Formats: sequence, C-alpha cells, structure tokens
Amino acid sequence: MNMRNFKLLAITLLLFLGSCKRETHVTFGVEEANLYEDKALKTKSKNEAVYISVLYTNLYQTPISPSQLYKTQAVIYSIGDRNVANEMVLSNYFNTQGLTIPSNAEMRSDIESFVIETYKRFFLRYPSEGEKTWMIQYITRNSQLSVEMIYTGFAASDEYQYY
Amino acid sequence: MTFMRRRDFITKSAALAGAGFLAPTILKTGTAFARGGNAKAEHVVLLMFAGGVRQQESVLQRYLEDSQGVAGAAGNIMPNLFNGAAPDRKIVYGTSLPGLPPGSEPIPRLLSNTIESSGMLFREVQAQSAGHYVGLNTLLTGNAGTAQGLKTRPRYPTIFEYLRRHAGFKASECWMVANGIGNSMPLLNSSDNADYGLQYGANMFAPPITFGSYGREILANGKSYSQQDLEPMYDIKRFLDQSFSLGQEQYNTVRNTEEERTWIKEFIRNVFVKQSAGQIAMPPVGSGDGYNIAYAAEIMREFKPRMLAVNIGGVDSCHSNFTSYLSALHRADHAAGWLWQYIQNNIPDIKDNTIFIIAPECGRNLNPNPILDQNDWYAFDHSDANARRVWSLMVGSNVPQLSVGSESNPVGRLTDIVPTIADIFGIYDEVMASGYIDPLAKSMFQRV
Repeated sequence: MNMRNFKLLAITLLLFLGSCKRETHVTFGVEEANLYEDKALKTKSKNEAVYISVLYTNLYQTPISPSQLYKTQAVIYSIGDRNVANEMVLSNYFNTQGLTIPSNAEMRSDIESFVIETYKRFFLRYPSEGEKTWMIQYITRNSQLSVEMIYTGFAASDEYQYY
Repeated sequence: MTFMRRRDFITKSAALAGAGFLAPTILKTGTAFARGGNAKAEHVVLLMFAGGVRQQESVLQRYLEDSQGVAGAAGNIMPNLFNGAAPDRKIVYGTSLPGLPPGSEPIPRLLSNTIESSGMLFREVQAQSAGHYVGLNTLLTGNAGTAQGLKTRPRYPTIFEYLRRHAGFKASECWMVANGIGNSMPLLNSSDNADYGLQYGANMFAPPITFGSYGREILANGKSYSQQDLEPMYDIKRFLDQSFSLGQEQYNTVRNTEEERTWIKEFIRNVFVKQSAGQIAMPPVGSGDGYNIAYAAEIMREFKPRMLAVNIGGVDSCHSNFTSYLSALHRADHAAGWLWQYIQNNIPDIKDNTIFIIAPECGRNLNPNPILDQNDWYAFDHSDANARRVWSLMVGSNVPQLSVGSESNPVGRLTDIVPTIADIFGIYDEVMASGYIDPLAKSMFQRV
C-alpha cells in the first residue's frame, strides 16, 4: 500500500468513525390513551355522501359501493326534509340482510355495555353519566325496544349528522 | 291625588310595557292576523312554466310564421291556456299516428274553457332575467336576484318562508316540486336568508329522482313502522337532539314535526304501492313535464298544501331543436290543463278555494342560433331583450276574467308573483315591508 492509498483509507475511516453517534433515548412521559370525539367540537354538517357512507359502513361493516352511494345521495338530495330521507333510507337498510348489529338478547344481557358501545359506534364518544343513565333506564323500562329502534334513533339524531 | 296618579301611571306603564313585550312575539309569527283575514283563496298552485318560453310561439301565437319565416303558419299551440285557433299548416307538435307525418295530430284540448277565458292574463310581462335559475328565483322570491349565485340557496326569502313565518303555515302545508336535482333546483325550497331560512322552508320532492328508479331502489323497500314502533325511535332521537341542541343557524334541512314526518314517509311508501299498481294519475299524453305534474297532483290530493310550486322545463330543448321545443310547449300546456282539471275533478275540498298561477321564468331570443333540426328549423337561446318578455296567467277563486296589457303596452313584472301570493293569503303588507321584494313589484290584483 503506497502512502497515497494509506492516507485515503485513513480519511475514510475517520469520516465513518466520526459520524457514528450513540443513540439517545428520549421519553416525554406521555401515557397511551384512547381518543374520542367531543360533541361540542362537532360543528360541521356531514353532506349526503359522507352521511350515507359512514352510516352504511357502520351498519354493514363494509364500505358502500360507489354506484349505491351515488343513487342514495341523489335520493336524499331529492327530498326537502333530510330527516325524512334519512329515516326512509334507514328503514330500507333494516329490511335487508347483512347488517352487523348486536342481537336484542345481547343488548338485554348487558345494557350498560350496549349503551356505551352504541355511543362509541355512532358518536365516536362515551356517553355522559346522565346520558348513560337515561338510556339504560329507557331500555330497561321498554321491553319491546329493539336494537333496530335504538340504532334508528341514533342514526337519525342531529349529532350523527355532524362531525 | 298625586299618589293616585302615580299608581295610575305605573299601572298603565306596566300594561304598555307588557304589550310592547308581547307585540313583537305576535308580529314575528304573524299568526295573530294572517290566517283568514283578507285571504282571497285558501290554496295557491304556482306552475313555474320554465325552460324559456318564447313570447312569439306562446301568447302571441305566431308558430312558424315568426320563428322560421313560414308564411301563413301562425296559430295557437297552447289550447288549454290561451284562446285562439290552432295553426293549419306544418303541424309537428302533436302526437304521431301510424301512416301520418310525425307529430301531426294535435293533442285535444282538455279544459272546456281555456285558462285565459276563465281568469286573468297578463299578456306582456317584464322578466328580470334571461336565465333559468335567476328567473326561478324571481318567481319564488319576488326579488330580481341579480346577485344570485348558482348551486346556492336563494339569497332572499322565498314565498314559502314568508307564508310560514307571517301566515303561520306548517311545513307540510308548503311544497316545492322540482323537476330534477341538477344545478340549484333542489335548493329552491328555502333561502339561506338570516331573517328567514330553513326553519321556514318548504317540503320538496324531485319526482324524477324521489319516485323514479333510484327512489324505488333506495326507498320502496323500507319498513312500515307502526306508531307504537315509531314512538320509542322518536323518543330516543328527541333525547339525543336535546343534548346536541342546534341553533337555527346550524339547520341543514327543512324540519317537519314528528307527525308530519310520519305522514310524509307514509305518503312516499303509498306512492310506490300506487306506482306498482299503475294507479298514479297522469296526463293522457305523457312527457317529462307531465310526469312531474302528476306527482304534484298526488301531493295536492294527499296534503292539500296551502302553497305548492311545481317546476317544469321541457321546452329548454329549444337550444338545439326547435321541433322538440314546439312539441314540449304543446305538452306542457296539456299537462297544465290536466293539473287544473285534476284539482277541479278530484280534490273537491280545494277546487273552489284554489288559485292557479302560471308563468315562465324567462323568454327566448328574437333571433335564432345556427343550429338546425330535422325540419331544417333554427333553434333559439335566451340572452337578449326578447328573452325578458313573458306572460302570466291566474285563475280560480276571486280572480276576475281580464286580459291585461299588450305587446306594445307591457304591464307587470315577474317579481309580482310573490306579492300576488302574499296578497292572496292576506300578508301583503308584511311581505312588502320585509325589504327583500323588488321595489317595483306589486300584487297583480293591484295592477288592474
């Protein structure tokens, strides 16, 4: 090895060695947490497409097809009272197969869990204590109340139309 | 004595303050004096005879003589609306019979007396715009709407909002029937005006969508819930809505009461049942406009609305096909006549206390564009002064038989329609004082 090559090798080694640094682990003390929406922050109205897309995925646990979305959006748009349109679309969905929703027996077996899960499913938040208490009492008192009826109430609510 | 006066003063002041406190509440809704009062009729049907109707082929009855230079080919092709003999040359606007030239058989007149001979015709009315959407806005808001954008709600209050706020009409008493959901059509049931807006808006259907193939697929299979089933659903919705209370400025839709919503949903379901059974009454000769008007008739029969506005627009084919335009004009006349006849024959509750108003939203150009149709006839757009010439018709309860104005003596503006409807329902002063009406507009009853 001549002197020139030796110098080159030495410079290269110095560069590599100089660039190596011991990794510093930094922790900020942040604890893991589940994040949920706050209803006070839901100020934007879902348009017809968003509402239907979210609702369909919620109930069927699969995305709506573009063609179905287009048709449903057009129909909702063609009716002056969106609540009427949404309630009609919902009643149509509840008359079809393939819905992924709890059974009435599952709801009755643990009403509190059902209420919490329903709030999370539709509103992406936990119910307040007042909401939870009212809902549990209402379901307990009304033995004929079905999951379909409760889901319809949630899906037709004002809060579900905002994000 | 001094003490007594002071007590008197306090008592009177309190009474006046109380009255002052209550008065705005009463005036705000207007229910204290709007219902009944000087009402000329209980129901109004406004047919927005839209799509751009040229004066020359409609009220002036010049048919091909004026538009295409065919000598001797003048005549009336709108026999239900206007008096006058049909053309006797080059008939292309009728139905087609085997072995005869296409369109050579005019549709027989449905009404025993024309609307003109039974009511009030304004022969030459000034439209405030040569465009469709601004024209429709003008018909519904009474404002010239020069700053109106597309794909937005009307900037100024619609007649529905005036009636709901000042006459106290319910949502289910006010209806708009659109002929599609393109452009801004489904937004015409309410303005976004801060003083009025969606809280006073009308119900609306666009029958080609709501009751067409999309609607059948999306809505017709819906469950029919009993009142017992509905009550808990509404209970839950009510509870949830209370904890997410929206301000009126956040409303994104017209709102009906629960009872009204149930009624409307039942109506939609029943329409699909009647459709399947072939029981929807239609004008004898079908057309897109006739289809829309047939569903307007269904709404009339079910809800007996105080105010219904229905939009048609088949004549807009005139941009590229004059023959098709003539045919659409003839069919729109047929459908209009059928609707009035339907009300008279099938809805006895309202036949004697309804006023039917018909007006185009704009006219069409004096000179044609270069597009030729199958008969080598030129087409017409709408952008010049001739496109701001229209007519209006009114017939029914308390409407005199009159012919007003002429080609050389225009009388009235399209912005008159809203003041006229306000006049019919006894809320003229409130509407004119709103500050949103064209200052040159006035009730057609006051024009004569």
